[in-house]
Amino acid sequence: MVLKDIELDFKNKVSEKLSLSSEGVDRYRVFTPFIFEDGDHLSILLKRRNGGWVLSDEGHTYMHLTYDLEEKDLQKGNRQKIISNALSMFSVEDKEGELVIPIQRDQYGDALYNFVQALLKITDVAYLSRERVRSTFIEDFRSFMEEAVPENRREFDWHDRQHDPEGKYLIDCRINSMLRPLFVQALPNDDKTRDATINLLQFEKWGASFRSLAIFEDQEQINRKVLARFTDVCEKQFSSLAANRDRIKRFLEESMQ
Amino acid sequence: MAIILSDKEIADFVQEKKPLPEDYRAKIQMRAKTGHKERELDVKGEDGNEFRLILRQSAINPLDFSIILAYRPPKSNQLFRLRRYNGKHWHTNLIEERTFFDFHIHQATTRYQEIGSSEDSYAEPTDRFSDFNQALSCMLKECGFQIPSELQERLL
Repeated sequence: MVLKDIELDFKNKVSEKLSLSSEGVDRYRVFTPFIFEDGDHLSILLKRRNGGWVLSDEGHTYMHLTYDLEEKDLQKGNRQKIISNALSMFSVEDKEGELVIPIQRDQYGDALYNFVQALLKITDVAYLSRERVRSTFIEDFRSFMEEAVPENRREFDWHDRQHDPEGKYLIDCRINSMLRPLFVQALPNDDKTRDATINLLQFEKWGASFRSLAIFEDQEQINRKVLARFTDVCEKQFSSLAANRDRIKRFLEESMQ
Repeated sequence: MAIILSDKEIADFVQEKKPLPEDYRAKIQMRAKTGHKERELDVKGEDGNEFRLILRQSAINPLDFSIILAYRPPKSNQLFRLRRYNGKHWHTNLIEERTFFDFHIHQATTRYQEIGSSEDSYAEPTDRFSDFNQALSCMLKECGFQIPSELQERLL
């Protein structure tokens, strides 16, 4: 095949897979070949709004992401950064969950091109949730604790200022205003579990009065010996956060009484 | 997903009896989020497996919705989507090279897991529902859910 024919084939392939179909007054569904990981196509509508035309996803993109993620997780951390970068890079507006790009000076093709690129970039956060799930565990733990424990009863990254002014022995979240404070540790891996063991032993050595709770990202992934040593010093453990949210919440509520 | 389920395991999980609580209707009343409404209900199957019913509906287009039956593998923090009853939009089955625009039902398959796609990437168009409530009824009827007897009698 000569270069000209290849080019023509490219053009045909791209253009034949784009189409518009009417869905009511001044409203058209735009079919593109671009899909989410599950085979559903990007949802794109061409609509008249305020005298002009816009492309809109009608809230579908964020909704689709919430099949795997909690909506609030889209609004913070790495996921939020990826989304806001994609929106600003391609001039897409977030109208309370509806993603919209206005068509400027009849540049329909440019707008579609930018809109598709923005939506595809935003769908990347779904991969973040799966492939880099470990990096979001701490974020998930913190937001869970923020929900479950009143602000005046908790302190993240707490250390004993008297015995440890440099903060070498950190507790992920200390829950206070009880007879004995509760030290809560979030444990995503072997290293952190070893550190948590050392920390608890150190607090014992200082004669501190406390109770301890550990929440693993996935306890099955922790080395047997590391886990055994940790089990000797920690009072209560949950094998994962996601599968035990209700139980952990109940435990915290009871502990705070 | 970290695990791969066979088609037989998937079918068994779908058919496992899933008793709904008496107040399940109240528990699936949708709550407004940004751009869509959503709700979830955790259900324990009769064989002890854990499932989640996940409901989503666009705040702008009521025909854009998803009703999902997910299975939670033991001690896992990720859900495995067994079935998904979807509103009307375009879908392509990559292996079968088939594209359609219709209401449709996603189902988990071993073959799509093996090529690294989402477990429920395969979907079939359906005429069994044409709105959110009909899709929910279909899901409850077809996926082993047991409506509390009192409510069932009232429905009959």
